[in-house]
Amino acid sequence: MWVDLIITLVKILFIFTVTVGFFAPILTWVERKQSALMQDRIGANRAEIMGFTALGLFHIIADAVKMFTKEDFIPDGANKFLHTISPILALVPAILTFAVVPFGGQYTLFDKEVNLVISDLDVGLLFVFAIASLATYGYVIAGWSSNNNWSLLGSMRTASQMISYEVTMGLTIIGVLMVYETMKLPEIGAAQEDFFRWGFFLQPLGFIMFLAASIAENKRIPFDAPEAESELVAGYFTEYSGIKFGMFFMAEFIEMVTIAAIVTILFFGAWHIPFLTTATLLSWFDFLGATGSNFAVMLIHIAVFFAKVVFFIWFQMVIRWTLPRFRYDQIMKLGWKILLPLSLANILVTAIVIMILN
Amino acid sequence: MAYYVNRNISMTWWERSYIPEILKGLWLTSRRFFRNLFGFLPFFLGTKKDRRIFTVYYPEEQVQYPIAYRGRPVLAQNEDGQPACVACGLCEIACPAYCIHIEPGENSGKQNQYERWPDVFNIDYAVCIFCGNCEEACPEEAIFMSDDCEISMLDRKKMLYTKEQLLVPVADLQKRIEFTRNMYAKWNY
Repeated sequence: MWVDLIITLVKILFIFTVTVGFFAPILTWVERKQSALMQDRIGANRAEIMGFTALGLFHIIADAVKMFTKEDFIPDGANKFLHTISPILALVPAILTFAVVPFGGQYTLFDKEVNLVISDLDVGLLFVFAIASLATYGYVIAGWSSNNNWSLLGSMRTASQMISYEVTMGLTIIGVLMVYETMKLPEIGAAQEDFFRWGFFLQPLGFIMFLAASIAENKRIPFDAPEAESELVAGYFTEYSGIKFGMFFMAEFIEMVTIAAIVTILFFGAWHIPFLTTATLLSWFDFLGATGSNFAVMLIHIAVFFAKVVFFIWFQMVIRWTLPRFRYDQIMKLGWKILLPLSLANILVTAIVIMILN
Repeated sequence: MAYYVNRNISMTWWERSYIPEILKGLWLTSRRFFRNLFGFLPFFLGTKKDRRIFTVYYPEEQVQYPIAYRGRPVLAQNEDGQPACVACGLCEIACPAYCIHIEPGENSGKQNQYERWPDVFNIDYAVCIFCGNCEEACPEEAIFMSDDCEISMLDRKKMLYTKEQLLVPVADLQKRIEFTRNMYAKWNY
């Protein structure tokens, strides 16, 4: 009983450290530096401590200090309660989705089964989408409570875009569910031990559509109609400053990590290395004993998983700094006229193929 | 009401399917990314010339300005330490911003000496617009636009430069002198 509690607490601590403590701050730096490199620039490097710039890494600290010390401004006529609560409503679901995201398989440590997921829900995949769509409330309320035309327009666009692309997302994962016949994320991950059983090979169209829809869910360029720096000042968070603004940004970056993690689990073999089964890995570390070999394999799997996550974060950044923005009507057209029929067709083809194979 | 612009773009089926074109774009930008990722490491190892990024770390690194660049105007100083200026006041008149102030001095008929020189020659860089008219008007090759543009200061009063601050040895200005001779030859010479 106590052991289970401690294991769960360690897992929660680990996820918090990785997402809020590591990825969210470091991604602000990565975004600046990567965009700079892609555009033949140098990027942020002016913040220095004792004469060291450390490739601009100190900008993270400078940003944090700036966010916390800035004036927390609430505009005239804004609803103070909703204005304050909406960044929290946006940030919490982003972190909460990690409750069901597995970052490794099952391992036997000291004769105890350790499952590297905080809560192994039966409806894990649905939980992710349910919680992720709750974040929409944060964005809509943020724009609505700000008493600003741009914010209101931004939040309206958020609502419409979220609804359009959540349909595609939901229909896309049905294909994955049909292939793996489970909704538990750890089981979907475990089913991809064979390289050619990876979701990418079984659902190639599903992968592309899921990635496009999830980038649209995250409201990043090329689907940044809700923010739309060139049309609406900053969309739904125009009237936010200080740490509330920072919370919106943190939510965006953590959502990026979530998307990368979900894509990795559903389509890119989760924690598995191509052509290397867990049994083979375990046999390599036989000399460490039962617990030792399991522990070593666990570390390797966590590292592989986060390497894949980092790759997909990099990929999202490349997309964000390569493609031009879609116009608002183009986003709607892509969502309803192209992605939705394609995802329905994907389900149909998947069903037919599964029926023939059985 | 939707308004459609007919752009007369005819795309092939391959381009219209969008995915291959996206991949082409991603390939281009990620190639740049990796090239620069390994290209800007030499900067930190000391060999600055090798990197392909053309952004300059400004205060640490500087680029050579072209000779036609108009920085702050300076006074040419002859080899004997005297200014080449004869205090004729043409630059003062030519100056559209009235930033030049000259008070002339002259000797009382002694032989083998300068006849006229400026006792006071002030240029207020807070007022100067860097047009180069003073250089063009000068008949004595005495005032030139240098390539120095770092004259920002916290105190406006310090931007008023006196004669001693303005003097620059004529040897340092040779390139600009050649340039002005070519440039203004048809008017001045």
